[in-house]
Amino acid sequence: MNWTDESLMAFVDGELDTDQRAAVESALAGDVALRARVAALQTQRRRVSAAFAGVLDEPMPDRLASLLANAPAPSAAVVDLSAARSARAQRRALPAWAQWGGMAASVVLGMLLGAQFAGRAGDASLGVRDGRLVAGGTIDQALSTQLASAGGAPVAVQLSFVDRDGAYCRTFSTTTLAGLACRRDGQWAVQTLAATSVAAEGTLRQAATSLPREVLDAVDRRIAGEALDATRERQARDQGWHR
Amino acid sequence: MAESSQNVREQLAALLPRLRRFGRTLARHREDADDLVQIALERALTRTDQWQPGTRLDSWVFRIMQNAWIDETRARERRGQTLLAEEEGEHVGVSTTDAQIDAIAVRKAVAQLNDDQRAVVGLVLVEGLPYKEAAEVLGVPIGTLTSRLARARETLQALLDGPLGARA
Repeated sequence: MNWTDESLMAFVDGELDTDQRAAVESALAGDVALRARVAALQTQRRRVSAAFAGVLDEPMPDRLASLLANAPAPSAAVVDLSAARSARAQRRALPAWAQWGGMAASVVLGMLLGAQFAGRAGDASLGVRDGRLVAGGTIDQALSTQLASAGGAPVAVQLSFVDRDGAYCRTFSTTTLAGLACRRDGQWAVQTLAATSVAAEGTLRQAATSLPREVLDAVDRRIAGEALDATRERQARDQGWHR
Repeated sequence: MAESSQNVREQLAALLPRLRRFGRTLARHREDADDLVQIALERALTRTDQWQPGTRLDSWVFRIMQNAWIDETRARERRGQTLLAEEEGEHVGVSTTDAQIDAIAVRKAVAQLNDDQRAVVGLVLVEGLPYKEAAEVLGVPIGTLTSRLARARETLQALLDGPLGARA
């Protein structure tokens, strides 16, 4: 029997019904040339599929991810906690790829710490003290002095609150990373660090005020009561974040 | 309604890597492909009510992408604009593996197919759609789909290895 290219193609693509399939299989058993044609089609299918498989692992461009994320970016520097919570709830629904930002954080952290250990710690914004990651440089300065309403600063501060241990905590973000730090022993101890989603594009500086999900989750785990309003935040700052 | 639209949005998010991959078979170039995905997603999001639950969401978006691609190629022809050539910057370095070299060769060959053939190859060989689904995405009878696929395969094989079957 002569087998057409189209019928062999359908066999390779799994388009034949059981009877047709069995007919091809029994013909294959005794026909070397036919086996070669089928093998060539199978190889081709594998090669074409493999040639494009890498696209699935490419980093997702922010413009595509943000189309579907639909998380409202906080417009003011002072983030209303309920707004932050609802934004977080929406983000929580995102699939695995949306969490790449979090995976990238460990890379960012590694780079920052690498710079520390390389001795270029002069203006580092994060450092290690007593085995703990603490804010330094511009981040420390922003956390200690900047009110959440301040705009245009290189480090944005969004939320201030008292945590369950009774310490002040604040969220912060730069163009590349965001985190939560709590006041411990006169230092801002970094509790959570994540890459901001705009880091990959680097074009939307102001969007750094929208906090990654990991940071909002960390706030949720630690917060006691509500976030500080502007008045209480100012009082806390003026008292040096002591409690 | 709002709930189901949110649901579609989440499913679209999960499909996103595959939409980009299909875009790459259609558009040859990463930037064009991502533009295409963006256009298609924007369209899809404004008409989530047109997707029928129970049918394949991927096919639905592939169809939107395919139509958007046809619109785009026609618009560019009218404007006298050419599409970006096939992916540049793909080069073979010392650390390139055999598999990577083969992938580049295959993508180059796919890029030389015509628009219809690239769409069929993308849907069936890359995305693994059954013939019936692929035919619906493209809006053609199944016989047309299989003959396009057969011609596309023949051309690919000629570009890659010589006549079909020469390399088993």
